[in-house]
Amino acid sequence: MTTADDAEIVARCRAGDADAFETLYRRHAARIYTLACRMAGSAEDGEDLLQEIFLQAYRKLGSFKGDAALGTWIYRLALNHCLDYVRSRRAKMSKLTETLDADTSFEPLAPRETPIARLDLERAIERLPDGAREAFVLHDVEGFDHKEAAALLGIAEGTSKSQVFKARAKLRVLLGKK
Amino acid sequence: MHPNDAELNEYADASVDASRRGEIERHLEACTSCRQVVAELREIARVAATLELRDPPVRSWTRLERAIKLDAATERLPQNSRNSRRTFDLRVQRALREMSVMGRLAAAAALVLATAVGVQMMRGSAARRPASAPAATATAPAPAPAAAAQSVEAELRQAEDHYEKAIQGLEQIANAEQSVFDPRTAATLQKNLAVIDQAISESRAALRTEPASEPAQQSLLENFKAKVALLQDTVALINEMRKGNEAGAARIVSGLKQKGD
Repeated sequence: MTTADDAEIVARCRAGDADAFETLYRRHAARIYTLACRMAGSAEDGEDLLQEIFLQAYRKLGSFKGDAALGTWIYRLALNHCLDYVRSRRAKMSKLTETLDADTSFEPLAPRETPIARLDLERAIERLPDGAREAFVLHDVEGFDHKEAAALLGIAEGTSKSQVFKARAKLRVLLGKK
Repeated sequence: MHPNDAELNEYADASVDASRRGEIERHLEACTSCRQVVAELREIARVAATLELRDPPVRSWTRLERAIKLDAATERLPQNSRNSRRTFDLRVQRALREMSVMGRLAAAAALVLATAVGVQMMRGSAARRPASAPAATATAPAPAPAAAAQSVEAELRQAEDHYEKAIQGLEQIANAEQSVFDPRTAATLQKNLAVIDQAISESRAALRTEPASEPAQQSLLENFKAKVALLQDTVALINEMRKGNEAGAARIVSGLKQKGD
């Protein structure tokens, strides 16, 4: 449910108060930017997506009913926009995303001496092929279960599982090379 | 016998079939390598769930604010103009996306050029060095000149392709919106474009004669950059004129005239 604070911000935005939209942006930009960078696999694309998502939020704010919190509404908008983007990119570059099979097994690696650093994992995620990265980000980072991730990506649940499996296998190798 | 990889993955997620769980657990007690795999998979999932948020660049809000103002101005236009305005915005957005790729490639090309020039200079100074003087970089052999030249040419070709694509996109926008210009502004734009096109032709001619010439390569990139900048100004001018912002349009036209003088 929307909070009184959300309702006030939305009302001010609808009345054309630019400061209110900036407040809304500052509150949610980091979460949306992070999602966009991870889904797209690059900070440059993430920045473009951030702009497009908030522009869309600005245009659609009139249709916000307050059934969910404003943050949830923007997050769904962002997720759909990112998915549209990656789907259209995948359609253009389908051949480039099918290069992972060689790495999809858990070969024995030398044990790591240090825990995985977040920054290393972020960098390794960027290097995953599109399909595996999207499923991994939705499942392991954003916390959707396979059924939800599959529905969002428009793939079968089993495909979501196998993409996450491929992603982890690849990440294990990428992080093992540290 | 080891569990297969998919089973280990599901075991790490605690989603493996109940009938297999006990068997896998017994196997893990005895198998160090499978235990290590499960521990690593769990660590990846654990760290992934605790990744931190990233702050967007500061410029993102400024860009968005500008886009919102433009959008609000569009909303005030009649329906027909609004539709053509949206098409116009989409085309600008597409051209700018193309340019951001091009910018990255051009930067890479510039870096390769600089490296190649550096290598040539080092080679030059090494050749001038007296025979008795020790070589400073004996342990780091420089790349073969032929390979460096090929790499420069490949980067240059790639940057050139992207410049041409961006120029094509911007030209299409500018040509379609020509009618907004008064004859004098249109003439100034044409004159400036003709000067740059001439310079591009000359750089290309120089490169045909001497493909490895660094000044000719540099000059071609500079001329492409100048053309993109002029077309960007043209699109910005169209924008201001459509918004009815005479002061903004006058500022851009005055800049165009200065560049043309």
